[in-house]
Amino acid sequence: MNLLSAIFIGIMFGVGIFQMLRRNVIRSAIGLIILANAINLFLFTTGAYQGAVAAYSGLTGQISDPLPQALVLTAIIISMGGFSFVLGMLYIISVRYKTSDSDQIKGLKY
Amino acid sequence: MKSWLVYLPILLPLLGAALGLLVRKYHRLQVGLTVVFILAALVCSLGMLYTVATTGQPVVFQLGAWPAPAGITLIGDYLSALMVVMSQIVLAAGILYATGCRDKCVHYPAFYPLFLTLATGLTGALLTGDLFNLFVFAELMVISGAVLTAVSDDRFGVEAAYKYFYISLLASMFLLLGCGALYAAYGTLNMADLGVQIAANPEHPLSGLALVFLLAFFMVKSAVVPFHFWQPDFHTAAPTPVHAVLSSVVVKLGVYGFIRMTTLLFPTRAPEINLLLVVLGCFGVLLGGLGATGTYDAKRMLAYSTLGQIGFILVGIGWGSPVALAAALVYAFNHSLIKSAMLMLAGAIASRAPVKSAAFKVVVGVGKSSPYAGVLFFLGGIALAGLPPTNGFISKLVLFQSGLQAQAYIPLIVIASASIITFIYIIRSFMKIWWEALPISKKTKPTGDLLIVPTILIGLCLALGVWAQPLVKLAQDTAAWLGQPMLYIQAVLGG
Repeated sequence: MNLLSAIFIGIMFGVGIFQMLRRNVIRSAIGLIILANAINLFLFTTGAYQGAVAAYSGLTGQISDPLPQALVLTAIIISMGGFSFVLGMLYIISVRYKTSDSDQIKGLKY
Repeated sequence: MKSWLVYLPILLPLLGAALGLLVRKYHRLQVGLTVVFILAALVCSLGMLYTVATTGQPVVFQLGAWPAPAGITLIGDYLSALMVVMSQIVLAAGILYATGCRDKCVHYPAFYPLFLTLATGLTGALLTGDLFNLFVFAELMVISGAVLTAVSDDRFGVEAAYKYFYISLLASMFLLLGCGALYAAYGTLNMADLGVQIAANPEHPLSGLALVFLLAFFMVKSAVVPFHFWQPDFHTAAPTPVHAVLSSVVVKLGVYGFIRMTTLLFPTRAPEINLLLVVLGCFGVLLGGLGATGTYDAKRMLAYSTLGQIGFILVGIGWGSPVALAAALVYAFNHSLIKSAMLMLAGAIASRAPVKSAAFKVVVGVGKSSPYAGVLFFLGGIALAGLPPTNGFISKLVLFQSGLQAQAYIPLIVIASASIITFIYIIRSFMKIWWEALPISKKTKPTGDLLIVPTILIGLCLALGVWAQPLVKLAQDTAAWLGQPMLYIQAVLGG
């Protein structure tokens, strides 16, 4: 299970970074989302497989570490807020320039 | 212990933001509430600094009364208290400036609440003793700053905000990755506890990874040279009051992070980090100075200048001795006051220009209509260049003294020559705006932004230049405190 999740997180990192480096700004935003999910998954796996039972549930067995789960919840919410803001700004930019090619969006270049 | 002093500077701005959103229909009431809450937070943080400085003990508060390594700790020690006071002074000045500002964006109903959440994020990130909590507060700060820039009057505000937000979100992801690595390696995220655990087992393979990711995060936050590319665009597009805050105190979060990393988290790896900081600081000093000399816009010039001044501070941290750390802290404090005042003056001139812009071709000669702003800009300029009788002179003096003590002659030569470059670009902008005649075809606007707040800030600069003893003493106490991380760990973990 550990090996499988490590390989999967690695693949997600690779795809995310590849998409981030694309010229299309929407693709690069999606790349950021994939990268963020890869990192959330990594954070989750730091404590996920030490126990099989959820903490404070009253069940018997080895209890899994609740802290990474709490951290991941917070991180997911923050990244969701961030991405909605990113997509909102992308909408304004793409309406203004009528393109999503980052080479054409050069208002800041003098 | 007066533990309320440490959570009120975080809680008051957040409360003010919530109340401000409730009364968003009544603009004047919202402005009044915002000013009251930020001034109350400033008073609380001053009280915290006073308590810390008189008792010599940090103010600690365990959130929810959970004991330290399990719960979240808020701690105001010497370093945090000093940085928080510095931030709150500039944040209060920025909000007061916004009340007298002619920009359209200050009437945006969420402008003042966002300013207060920016204050919450910055203060919280400086006061928290937990690495993940630092991520949350830093993210709050980043998103508030980005929204405030996106609503700017500048046409390219949205693009600049996008650029900044994309990079900052990526940097926050780095911090999250660093948190995950540290948690996997040491099983804790409390900074004091991490200090103990890392000292006990410094060679864990994941600790190097965490170190690199934390360094990258703080470097993006304070625009250290290889990570600086977003900074001039973003800061130029921001509205003037926001720009004054972003360019002077928000970039200091990285400085705070470097000091914490070298003294508390990774003291065993401090020599490598310090070498990196000195090299990057020297590059930043040169690049910032040259960029500021070659640019075409007064606000952009000051943004590049921030790049250079952060370089000076990094060199001070990198020398690493207690004297050099004290010098870096004095430099950081003084730079915040000077830079925010200068930016407000540049913004005030831009508000009097025929077109709302700070580009030199627009503001050439505009200063003739406001000679008083010229006097203030000149005083701020010599403070930035480091001439007496201003606080800039004091900060350069202590920094160069510490460099001579450390016998680091090559960085000394670099930063001394960069100081001369500072003088060149300040005089260049001063001559463009106040000496050259106004073109006949142009007319300046009769009124502009109010100059009360820059006057106060420049007054503070002069006062701290003439009467520098308290600040320097405080910085020396801070450096002495930073030399004993055991005291910090004891204060947080108890026993």
